[in-house]
Amino acid sequence: MQSNSEHQDLPDSAQPSPFIVKDGAKQWGFIRALPSTVVGWLLRAYRRIISPTYGDVCKFFPTCSAYGLEAVYTQGAIKGSLMAGWRILRCHPWQDGGIDPVPPGNRIWPDGKQPFIIELNHPVIPPDTEATEEDK
Amino acid sequence: MGFFDTILLPFTWAVSWVLSMFHTVLGFLGMDSASGWTWTLALVLLVILIRTLLIPVFVKQIKSQRAMQELQPEIKKLQAKYKNKKDQLSRQAMAMEQQQLFKDRGTSPFAACLPMLVQMPFFFALYRVLVSASQAADNNETIGALSADEVHSFANSSFAGAQMSDVLKDNVGENFDLNVVVVAVILIILMVTAMFYMQKTLMGKNMSEAAQTGQFAQTQKIMLYALPAVFAIGGFNFPVGVLIYWTATNFWAVGQQLFIIRRNPTPGSIAERELNERRAVKGLPPIGKAAQEAEEKSQAEAQKPKGQRHQPVKKPRKKR
Repeated sequence: MQSNSEHQDLPDSAQPSPFIVKDGAKQWGFIRALPSTVVGWLLRAYRRIISPTYGDVCKFFPTCSAYGLEAVYTQGAIKGSLMAGWRILRCHPWQDGGIDPVPPGNRIWPDGKQPFIIELNHPVIPPDTEATEEDK
Repeated sequence: MGFFDTILLPFTWAVSWVLSMFHTVLGFLGMDSASGWTWTLALVLLVILIRTLLIPVFVKQIKSQRAMQELQPEIKKLQAKYKNKKDQLSRQAMAMEQQQLFKDRGTSPFAACLPMLVQMPFFFALYRVLVSASQAADNNETIGALSADEVHSFANSSFAGAQMSDVLKDNVGENFDLNVVVVAVILIILMVTAMFYMQKTLMGKNMSEAAQTGQFAQTQKIMLYALPAVFAIGGFNFPVGVLIYWTATNFWAVGQQLFIIRRNPTPGSIAERELNERRAVKGLPPIGKAAQEAEEKSQAEAQKPKGQRHQPVKKPRKKR
């Protein structure tokens, strides 16, 4: 297992979800990555154009479209889309929501090529208020 | 049959079966089976059934909105923590912490998207049933659970002179039909007015002061004008049967909303103040935010004397 963000000791309320990949994860070639790239465009178009019209509605973190985008990039177009579909089905009134990261996948990127959505979906949580106030 | 129709098939069956069932029951109760009013009533009953099944969803939604109120102090703390961090990654981190907070309390301010999605295939199916009725009647076909006879009866039944499958779009200009135009326009006006009124009362009365500013309010404001416009354009293209369904749905929604506003308004909203005024007239204690504030006040008063009481101070003898 490898991780791209440093671990921190945090209170229970804020669990970090660092981006993790499975052992033996590889970079994908152009052909292998093509379907996920295409589906990724569709999702990004949705996130850019349709999603802003109704504001924040998701009870999960990351939101369903962000989850879908990462899943498609890390798991491939078919498995990623199915995972996103399953996620949407889980978004109902008898589900509490919360933090629900995409499970580890088999794909890594060369330095600087990793999609920004992965960084957005696994933010580093800054330390609590008291600590930051002391910094000032 | 197209791809879309194949997916919709089970929903078409469900919708047409319920419609057929209501129509048969109304026939047994002595209503004229061929009359458009019987079919209209069957459609209204379909709306009542669907909306009744959805009541638990709304109850759940309201409860979780109320639970949000208790979380306000912690959310404020979170907002203070991220006050000076406006970049995208910090926003994400804040969203993440916030979601965790909601989950810990088993609540969320966001309505789940599934209930809305669940209604959609049923609506599309109903639309398909109503739109295809006239063609199916000509070809002596069945639609879902509706028999050929029922399809005939439905397509030819008229509601105040307009047939269920008539579309406003096809009845202006060359094939002008005054009856259809009048009925369709009245239905469209009714449903758009209901929708506008509902959104307006929601925004004016049943939103807390905090919710009336900020992004959520902005979205609501867009909805206030966008939704009626969408419905008006849709109404131009949809058959009278769908318009009846839509009008009935909107009236139900208005009724439900007025009930909620009266009985269980959002804490901190105008509607809550009005409820407490009504309760005061009857001599009942206030509820909601006002009650909370009253309790805090009495607690503060109860604590005051303790804090203010000065311990007798021992003074040195020479100062007396």
